[in-house]
Formats: sequence, structure tokens, C-alpha cells
Amino acid sequence: MSTPANAAVRKNKRSFPEWLRSRDGQKVLVMMAFLIIPMVLLMVFTYIPFAEMVRYSFYNMKYVGARKFVGMKNYIKVFSRKDCFGALKLSLYYMGGSVVQLSLALYLATILSFKVKGGSLFKGFMFFPFLINGIAIGFIFKFFYTRGFVFDTVLQWCGFSLDNLPYWLKDRSINNISLVGTSVWRYFGQNMVLFIGAIMSVDNELYEAAMLDGANRFQQFKYIILPSIKTIFVLNVILSISGSLSAFEPPYVITDGANGTGTYFVIMHQIAHTQQKVGLASAMAVVLLLIIFTVTILQKLFFKYVFKDSVE
Amino acid sequence: MKLKKVLALTLASAMTFSLAACGGAPSQAAPGAAEEAGKEEAAEDTAAEEEDEAADTADAAEESAVPSYTQLDLSKYADTQATIKFLHHKTDRAEDGTMDKMVAAFNTEFPGITVEMEAVTDYAEDSLLRLSTGDWGDIMFIPAVDKSDLSDYFMPFDTLENLSAELNFVDNWEFGGNCYGIPYMANAQGVLYNKAVFKDAGITELPKTPTEFLDDLKLIKDKTDAIPLYTNYAAGWTMGAWDAYIGIVSNGDDTYINQKFVHTAEPFKDPGDDTGIYNLYRILYDAVANGLIEDDYTTTDWESCKGMLNRGEIGTMVLGSWAYAQMQEAGDTPENVGYMPFPMTVGGTQYVAAGGDYNYCINVNSSDENKLASMIFVKWMVEKSDWCYNEGGYTVVKGGKNPEMYAAFDGCTVLSDQPAKSGEETYLNDMNAESELSFNAGGNDKVQRIVEAAATGSETLDDIYADWTQKWNDAQEELGITADN
Repeated sequence: MSTPANAAVRKNKRSFPEWLRSRDGQKVLVMMAFLIIPMVLLMVFTYIPFAEMVRYSFYNMKYVGARKFVGMKNYIKVFSRKDCFGALKLSLYYMGGSVVQLSLALYLATILSFKVKGGSLFKGFMFFPFLINGIAIGFIFKFFYTRGFVFDTVLQWCGFSLDNLPYWLKDRSINNISLVGTSVWRYFGQNMVLFIGAIMSVDNELYEAAMLDGANRFQQFKYIILPSIKTIFVLNVILSISGSLSAFEPPYVITDGANGTGTYFVIMHQIAHTQQKVGLASAMAVVLLLIIFTVTILQKLFFKYVFKDSVE
Repeated sequence: MKLKKVLALTLASAMTFSLAACGGAPSQAAPGAAEEAGKEEAAEDTAAEEEDEAADTADAAEESAVPSYTQLDLSKYADTQATIKFLHHKTDRAEDGTMDKMVAAFNTEFPGITVEMEAVTDYAEDSLLRLSTGDWGDIMFIPAVDKSDLSDYFMPFDTLENLSAELNFVDNWEFGGNCYGIPYMANAQGVLYNKAVFKDAGITELPKTPTEFLDDLKLIKDKTDAIPLYTNYAAGWTMGAWDAYIGIVSNGDDTYINQKFVHTAEPFKDPGDDTGIYNLYRILYDAVANGLIEDDYTTTDWESCKGMLNRGEIGTMVLGSWAYAQMQEAGDTPENVGYMPFPMTVGGTQYVAAGGDYNYCINVNSSDENKLASMIFVKWMVEKSDWCYNEGGYTVVKGGKNPEMYAAFDGCTVLSDQPAKSGEETYLNDMNAESELSFNAGGNDKVQRIVEAAATGSETLDDIYADWTQKWNDAQEELGITADN
């Protein structure tokens, strides 16, 4: 091994082609060759379009036709319009839904990671909704919630009478909950499978040792399972929260954002495509990105604080 | 060792090369998403062009300029050679073979012109994207572009003066005296109803005012099991269809929507005589408030409503005449489907607004050969294909025959909207976008809001109109458009 100083002296003596043929040069060359593919793809398909969108957010423009630079006006509008930030309130429903979704997933994952009869079958059934296309799910639930259709019929079998049942999509006090229900149904299976994977990696001897010490199932969960799956848990929470800020498919397909179900994304879509205010919609997208950044950082800090004990 | 090095280098260089191709491709692909499809066509095009040049060198001098629509004599061009591409939205007609049949009939007269067609499902949005890439073919239906941009994309068919002597409804896409679009069919704006339901409810005379209409809806509710007025709330665009009655129908003024509307300070004021925009949406509000619509409006389904109207489970639906044929096809009792003028009478006359549907247009960047062939094709489609009649459309050709469904329109005054004043062509689009009310331009949510407000009692109709007026006035101020009363 040559010292860095040595290498530098030698590098100065070598010409570029010589250096290229040397071991160091080859290393750099191969590294560049392999790196450049993903980097170019990333730039072309992610960062350049993103930069374009940020640029659009400063213009008053349609898809076709002339563009006018308006500075921060679009951003001021995002914050001053009632519908833009009002729509973010709906995210609270989806966040509430993600709490239900994660606890359900964690609960079922814990049960299924122990020996259960027909465990794989259950896992399969519960994971299945995640495999269906989101648009198809929208259409399924549109009919599911239609007055007197699937959901009402099932509830009538259980003894409810149709007159006492609410209109699942018409009644503004529950229509958002109905929509959140569809997204919980779709995603909890996926969360569950991720949790099961993490729980599987826990060493079995730990349970035996805990049992010998007289720990019950709940204590095992609290002191063994939860700390071991911390990383996956935090990841799932972050994904769910940013997912609820950007909820789109259920309200778009099932209600088209009407009747007070228009989430931030649906409103953005309307502004971009119906009103053709592309600049304003781009500004909304940038603002949402910043919100998601902030929320994610806050979550990170929060979990750092919560799991401090277990790390120590 | 050496072999390995050589191998590594070759690999690396191969990768960098493939990358160069990779890096170059996206920037080129951007302008033409359907480039591959286009290439084939381009190849055929050049082949056709070469043949053309060889055959028609003598005619070339005459043909260098494409004749205008009214100058074009179809009988003289039977041997024209070209391959043109037609981008359209009639996916249903492409599937059931109507389009192919029409092109086959066209080719018996013009065997040298090959027409390739592409049907696009989400036409309103996709066509705009295709238009911005510039790679879409030779003929399309004009999507929602600003009138001032028309000449950048399309070639004018003729002057408005010449064209309007032969055809109806050609002023939709007029700019600077030239017409850039010709409608493939025209719609008259009325109301769909089921004749049997009206008979069962004891309605002998068609309603002529909003108040009479609401009384009739009440009769239908009391005497039959049918849903008096089906809103089709969930589909969205079906609610936006209510906007089509603003202007000619609501006040009998064919210059209103394109010229005066943007300058009106209080367009939603109640004129007090059962007319105007105020009473147009009042029908909807009152019908919802009195329970004269479907039980659960949030789960309505567009496809199944057609059969329901046909079978007499629905009394009325407010939609343009284009929907008539679909309602007839959807069930076993097509004879019960009826179409009536909108129940609004202005100064003793019922007015009917008729206007062009989507408009044909020709790519300004196409070659002269293709422009000529496209002109021939459009003229043939408009005048000889009978497409408009078969679709139940109001005739585009002046003096052409109208389908039977318009029988109830006898005695009504049929008008079509006048174009905007010169220099103000973009005002309505600008106002629509700025106020976000989007009249006749996808502003479905504002009409849905009326249904929601009436059903839940959250807002009165006056609250809604006050809000709209506010938005309208703000937009007028923002755009510097004068408002007078």
C-alpha cells in the first residue's frame, strides 16, 4: 500500500491515459460507469421534471398558451384560499384511519407470527386487497356503499333495518369515514405482512427465556417484539402519515371529490385539469412536499424520544 | 488478468454507449409520445408523397395552395393520393364499426386517400397533451384551447362569411374572421323525458316554465313510482350539463353567453319572471329540496340511468340531445323516450339553444397534400356521411333534414350562440378559469354544490348566488373586464 502522499507524487508524474490504466483509474472508471446509469435515470425522470414543476409554480400558465411570471402570487393564493388548506383537514380522517390500520395490522401480525391454524391462509386473504388496483377498489366500494346494495344488505342480515342505516356517501358526517374505511381495508394487509416479517426475525430463545422468567404474552410483546420491530414500525407510521396527507384514489374514484370529500390531491387535480391553473397546482404540490418534509422530521424526532429507553 | 481488464473495459464502454442512447432518448421522446406509431405513418406518407409528386407534377402548380372549404369541389379530386390520420373521441362508434363503415364509403369515392383513425377515451385531457406535443396527425376534434392560439395549431377552413352561408354553427371556433372548426354534429339543448311516465302522471301538456315543470315533477312523484328528476350527481359532468341553458334558453339572447355574460355585474339576479340563470338553477334546488330526485344522489350510475329512463323508472333528465339516441338504445321501449324544449318561456317564446358538438380541425403543420386530403375528408364527412343525422344531431348543413325527435321543438325559436366580439374572444375562458365557476367548461362542482346545499339545507340558493356573484366580480376586477348592469 502506498501512502496518499506517495500516490499524489506518482499521480503527478503519470499522464491521464496512464492513470486511467492504473488500478485507481480503473476503480473510478468502473464506479462511474455503473453509477451513471441510475443517476441519469433519476435526473431525467425525477429531478428535472421536479425542477420544472417548481419553476411552473412561479408562473400563471395553462398547459398550452402563453405563460406569465407572477412571482410568489401562487404561493400566497395557496395559503389564502379556503379550499386548499381546508382540504388538509380531511387528512385528519385519513390519519385517524392509519392509526386504526396500524394497530389492527400490528395486532394481527403478532397473533399470526405465533402458531395459528390456517395462518398462511389468513395472511393470504388479508394481504389480497393490496394486490387489487386502486381504481378497481374504488368501483367496488362505489357499489358496496350504494343504498340498498352490498353493505346495507349485509347489515340487514345482521338485524339492522334499512331505515336506521345512514347513507354512507351522502351523509356528510360519515362519508369521509366510509372512504377512509376503503383505504384501511386495502393497506392493513400490507402493513401486517411487513410486521410479520420483522417479528419473524426475533430470536425464539428470547421468548423461551422470557417465559421462564414468567412473562406473559403482553409483556413479551411490549419488551421483546415492539423494540425489535422498531425500525419497521417507524417506517410504516411515516408511510401511513405521508400517505394520508396525499390521499387521492378513494375520493377521486368513489365520489369525484364531491360532497365535502375532496382531499388536497383531488382539489389539486381539479385546479390543474378543470380550471387549468397549472401554476397554482404546482405551487400546491410544492407546499404539500414541504408539509410532508416537516411532518416526517417531526415524527423522526418524536420516535427518537419515545424509543430512547429501548435504545439505551 | 489482461483478458479480464479488456472485458471490463468493453463492458464499461458498452454501458456508456447504451447510456448515451438512453440519455438522448427521453429528451427526444418528450415531443412525441406516440413517435413509434407516427414513424410508420411518416414512412407511408413520404411514399405517398413521392407517388403524388410523380403523378401530379402538372397539377402541382394549381394545388400548391389548398382550396378553402367552400371553393373545394369534391367531384374534382377523386384521384387524390394521401394518407391522413384522424384523432377522435368516439370510442363507442369505433368499436361498433360505424367509423370504419363511413371511411369505407368515403374510399369508394376517394380510393387514393387512406384514413387512419385513433380513438381516445379521455379525449378532453389527452387531446390537449397530444396537441402540445405537435404529433397527433392531420385531423382532430378541437379541444379546449384559447381562441387566440387557434392559428398556431390549426388551418382555417374558410372565412366565417363564406362558411356560414352553407353551414350552421361554424362560429364556435372563429378567430379574426376565419373559421378553424366545423362541428361533426350539432346538439339542441332540451330535456329528456319518458312519455309513459308523463301519461301516467296525467301530464297532457309539456311544461313551459320552471314553476310548471316543478309542479309536473310533483305530479310524477305523487302518481307514479318513477324518480321525477334524475340528477346523475355522481358522474359530475352530467351536472355541468345544466350550464348549457344559460343565455339563449334563459333569456332568449344569443349574444349573452359569449358577449354580455362576462360584462354582467349581477348575472345571477332574479329577473322576477321565471326566467334567467336564477330560475334555471332554482329548478334543481327546489327539486332537490322537495325530494323530487333520486334517494341517494351520491351513488348514481350513468350507465344504468339510460335503461332506467327507457323503462320508465326515471321521469326526466336534463341533458343535451346527443343523449337521446343512447337512451333509446338502452332498453326495450325506445318509443317512450321523448325530448322536449327546456321549460322556460321568455316573453311568450320558448327558445332553444343549438350548437355544434366537437369540431373537426386540420393540422396547420401538415403537408399540403395532407391538408388537401383532410379538407376533402372533412367536407365529405360533413355533407355526405349522414353521421350527424344518424347520431340524432341537429343538422349542420343549412337546410338539411332533422331527425324526428325534434318534433316537440316546432314553434320554438332555435338560435345558436353568437361569437364573442373581436378582441374579447378569450374573455369567457379567462373569466371561467379565474372565477373557477367554469360555465360550460367542466364546472361540475358548482352545480353539485346546489344539490348538496338543497339536500342538507346548509346554504340557501341566494347564499350560493351571492358567493358566485362575488367570485364573478373578483374575476372581473382581476382581469380588468368592465362590468355594467
